Amino acid sequence: MKKLVLSLILVVSLITVSMAQTQEEISPQRKQAIDSLALEKVRDLSKYISIIGNKDTPWSEAQRVIERATELFMEGSEIGVSSLSRPDVNYYKVREYFDRLMQLNYDRVNIEWYKIQYVSDLERQPDGSYVGVITIYQRFQGYDREKGLVYEDTTKKDITVYVKRKETQIGGRLIGFWDVMLGDIRVKETSK
Amino acid sequence: MRNESCRMKNGTLSFFILFFMTTWTGNAQTTIGTISSDETVFYAQTKQMNQFFRRFNGEEDAAGKRLYSGDPGYHDLKARRKFINILFDNQSPLITSDQKYVFTEEVLNKKTPYLLDFHGKDWFAELSTVFLYKKEKINIILYLKLEKQNDGYKWVFSNAWCDRFSRYFNHIGDTTNLKYFLHPMSHEVDFMNMHKIFQDDQNIDYYLEDHYIPDQLALFVMLVKDEALKFVSVNNLKFHIFQVPNWYFEVSYFNRNTYNSGWLISNLVRVNEKEKKELLKQYRNSSP
Repeated sequence: MKKLVLSLILVVSLITVSMAQTQEEISPQRKQAIDSLALEKVRDLSKYISIIGNKDTPWSEAQRVIERATELFMEGSEIGVSSLSRPDVNYYKVREYFDRLMQLNYDRVNIEWYKIQYVSDLERQPDGSYVGVITIYQRFQGYDREKGLVYEDTTKKDITVYVKRKETQIGGRLIGFWDVMLGDIRVKETSK
Repeated sequence: MRNESCRMKNGTLSFFILFFMTTWTGNAQTTIGTISSDETVFYAQTKQMNQFFRRFNGEEDAAGKRLYSGDPGYHDLKARRKFINILFDNQSPLITSDQKYVFTEEVLNKKTPYLLDFHGKDWFAELSTVFLYKKEKINIILYLKLEKQNDGYKWVFSNAWCDRFSRYFNHIGDTTNLKYFLHPMSHEVDFMNMHKIFQDDQNIDYYLEDHYIPDQLALFVMLVKDEALKFVSVNNLKFHIFQVPNWYFEVSYFNRNTYNSGWLISNLVRVNEKEKKELLKQYRNSSP
């Protein structure tokens, strides 16, 4: 609930009354506000991934979190995964990726996120919306009850972020705001 | 010059360690994760091409913060020198320290420093892809460039290359051929002899003009539309940049656990503008 309120505050802080919807430029100040909103979504995603991957999470709770996580994404988004031994990319629908994460065959998993992050510029697309990429790094460890740590990797996740100008009616007035959605994610294993 | 390069390399390491410490405290409130182990490698890594452009142009500060026009340090030549030095793959046998030195001096010329332009012309992505063709996996190189549409941009195919396609044209310019040709008076008989050449369809390419350059992109589109080519996967990606006068360089991704990783200059060649024009033909077919 607290998070929802925080997100709402962020969205409201981005609200402008401009009607020049399609041609609006994003100033550096607005870019910073949008970056914060996008990072908030990425933070949510990383939290959800940790919960989904956690073996102690009950099945029903994991399903609920998968729903929440899927809602962060544009429809049709995919996760493209490659590893050091297999450079070509395997594609998974977002939902499928989370389902696979939940069903991983380890007795315990440990998913942690590095503090480093990189947020690209926002580039305007021909349809007037904007797109950027946020890079984060994740460490994954899979444990077997008897053998201990049996798998470990660190992956670089390049997350597409779409930023669209939208409008909503509040009290009879048309209010414009920037909406942020996640898109395709490229997952690359990093060198050890 | 070599001593200069060595001095710059040592400087780079301390540049990153010092700046990483700055970032660590400076960005503490915007962190995503929880791991507090050594992350200097990821910090130093040029994580996106976007960051390659920013670092090359001096559009981010030592702590990785985006700089905009008017900010102190924006396009600062001293900072750019340090950044450009770390943007080279320092294991590349294709780049000599002398080349690197001359390139850096020319790019950072005080009177006319050169910047890379993300939206500018003369840079291309080269994407290695895998397709299924006649039940066999084949590699196709796709060249892409950024194109403006409305007020936005999009990547478009500028050319394609496939070894398999080239085989269809291996008889072009074959001067030893004394058998497959249309005789010079064929026009007087309304090319009625034309039907003979199509009875031997595998030799049709003998009848093309000797300097004909096949349009591989057209072939690619036709085969995709005819469903003869089925996409399998993207593979390796690199970039070719021609924006600095008298230089061409290639940027590739280096996935390794060192400070010198991420998107880095993997090849650097001095080319005059005439040579550049020739080279560009490979990337953009015949379009301007």
